[in-house]
Amino acid sequence: MRSARGFVAVGAALTALALVLAGCGSGDDKGADAGGGALKLWHYEGADSAMGVAWDKAIEVFKAEHPGVQVQFERKAFEQIQQNASMILASDQAPDVMEYNKGNATAGLLSSKGLLADLTEEAESRGWDKALSPSLQTTAKYDDKGVMGSGKWFGIPNYGEYVMVYYNKALFKQHGVAVPKTLAELTQAMDTFVAKKVTPLGMAGAEYPAGQLYYQLALSKADRKFVDDYQLYKSPVDFTKDPVKYGADTFKEWVSKGYISKQSASLKAEDMGTAFMAGKTPMIFSGSWWYGRFAAEIKKFEWGTFLFPETKLHLGSSGNLWVVPESSKNKKLAYDFIDITMRPEIQNILGEKGGVPVRADLSKVTDAKNKELIANFDTITKADGLAFYPDWPVPGYYDVLVAGGQSLINGSKTTDQVLTDFAKAYTDGVQEIENG
Amino acid sequence: MSARQLGRSAAGFWWYLLPGAVAFIAIVAVPFGANIYLSLTKWSGVGSPRFIGADNYTRLLQDDVFWGSFRNSLAMVVAMVIVPTVIGLLLASTLFDVIGRRFGNKTASFLRATFYLPQVLPVVVAGILWGWLLRPDGAFNALLNAIGLGGLSHDWLGDPRTALPMVMLVMIWVQIGYPVVIFMAALQRVDPDLYEAAEIDGAGWFRRFQAITLPQIRPETFVVALTCTIAALKVFGPIWALTRGGPNNATTVPSYFAYNAFFNKLQVGYGAAVATALTLLIVIVSLAFLRIQSRTESAEER
Repeated sequence: MRSARGFVAVGAALTALALVLAGCGSGDDKGADAGGGALKLWHYEGADSAMGVAWDKAIEVFKAEHPGVQVQFERKAFEQIQQNASMILASDQAPDVMEYNKGNATAGLLSSKGLLADLTEEAESRGWDKALSPSLQTTAKYDDKGVMGSGKWFGIPNYGEYVMVYYNKALFKQHGVAVPKTLAELTQAMDTFVAKKVTPLGMAGAEYPAGQLYYQLALSKADRKFVDDYQLYKSPVDFTKDPVKYGADTFKEWVSKGYISKQSASLKAEDMGTAFMAGKTPMIFSGSWWYGRFAAEIKKFEWGTFLFPETKLHLGSSGNLWVVPESSKNKKLAYDFIDITMRPEIQNILGEKGGVPVRADLSKVTDAKNKELIANFDTITKADGLAFYPDWPVPGYYDVLVAGGQSLINGSKTTDQVLTDFAKAYTDGVQEIENG
Repeated sequence: MSARQLGRSAAGFWWYLLPGAVAFIAIVAVPFGANIYLSLTKWSGVGSPRFIGADNYTRLLQDDVFWGSFRNSLAMVVAMVIVPTVIGLLLASTLFDVIGRRFGNKTASFLRATFYLPQVLPVVVAGILWGWLLRPDGAFNALLNAIGLGGLSHDWLGDPRTALPMVMLVMIWVQIGYPVVIFMAALQRVDPDLYEAAEIDGAGWFRRFQAITLPQIRPETFVVALTCTIAALKVFGPIWALTRGGPNNATTVPSYFAYNAFFNKLQVGYGAAVATALTLLIVIVSLAFLRIQSRTESAEER
């Protein structure tokens, strides 16, 4: 038991030292746009995922259009980029173009420290600004403090994601439940399942699903102003009132009514997804990131999706961003590559493979299910309905939401106590960001 | 050899310490120094750290989660040091003194290897394995249902009242093999005549355990207690694999708390303060152990 244990004190110190040392060698931009013979490109999408396939094709097109340029592609792990991006970007080892997580704590933070190239001019001259709807642009732009929604362009998203209800058609049919169109019908459907001793809604308290459902319930009573206040700090959020109070109260009520299992506090998102794939759960509320996997792996029953009823606002956002490190020596090549990923031929591959392209030509997508997925996303974006995710506002808020969700599930705290925890972490975090 | 000659030859040996000293400075001293410096700053991990003096430490002293994490560390000491050492002592003694004699050394060795098996498993694998067993629909609850105790089935890792005891249980399971192996090796060097003489004098197993086994293997007991205490104070892997510090910080330990501050909350300065506090605590505990050990040895020599 002695050898394999992570000793964080030393590890952290080493990391910190590396960060200090790396900070010393940052930002040599003399060679920028020199147009050297290589494009260094990193992303972390799986080879078989819709994005992985589409980006492979984009690399192919890039090579054909830039015959003298060598593409040095490396597939990284998400955590590798997530935890080391600042070190990498501050060193001379940075790639020319890289996939990176969107949000204040990631792309926003790096942009505020001058580590990402300002893409505003390119976005305007290449028409990316017109291709992306306003709610998709929110995650692409960051102000001087790294807060998303305004300021300069620091990333380009070219796919989207949103959260919906996945349902098992076979179980719905077996228990005589119709696809709900209203919130009342949804609760009625869940009552029917509970009466037949089936837990209707899959849940995973140890990871994001609980926080996402709480936020969606809050969104059903919210407007765009709330989203702007909560995510962009336009005005203070009162955690003792609706819509967040409604979100937490209703979540707790759903647990007490048996819609959500009281024994799901320790489960992870993977457990929730695999239970749905195994045909054990009638419904789960989760993101489009499951879509391709469900399509590939669920063979035993028919499944479908519907948007959470009676709400204009849905969890979702642009996908991850293409960013260009300020230290890139081949920025023009990087912009050319990003431009290729926005072309219809690449966007259509995304749509055909179960992804959610930002500029889809629905007539070119043959699969009916994929068409529905993209059409729903279009409906949300056209109505300016993307409300992002509950953990985005402040760094570390994810853990606070997970802890709160677990407490609501296992009944160890009241909703008021949970909301007090949410409020404290949120207020402290926003204050930190605003004070720089 | 004159004193001068002795000094000259001793000076020659210093060169042998050089590689170790360089490695210590590069791998331990400098990063630890950098960590202490960072603990006095406010830093998100990007850009320049801002010096804020002892603010992180003041904040640390008022942080309930930090104190809670140290309370959980004490639980880890119980689970990884006290219980395994006591059980390990009894098991090793039984295997050596009873099983080994009656059923042969091969049987004792086989059982020793069985107890040691969890130590061979990577800790994250063990964590995931136990995570499966303790899931709401896992084998543990299935077993309770099968024997008619379905009413006791529970979300063991999802309830703050049961999560920490379950993590402790897993750690006892993981940890037991280590003292068993060390103590059995220690018992090999005990003169068998002592046991025989005691037996002839009519001493039973417990009397022999008390009068011979315990005093004879005291040095190894110190080693086990020291290494396991350090391991318990810095435990991270099982917490990460089993509960990620949840539910609601019920299983958060200092190393996970530091990791969270570093990588999730981007509070590098604060995380460094936690890491520094943890390191100092481990150094103090280690020095205390070593002091007690040397005192005991001196007393025995007298």
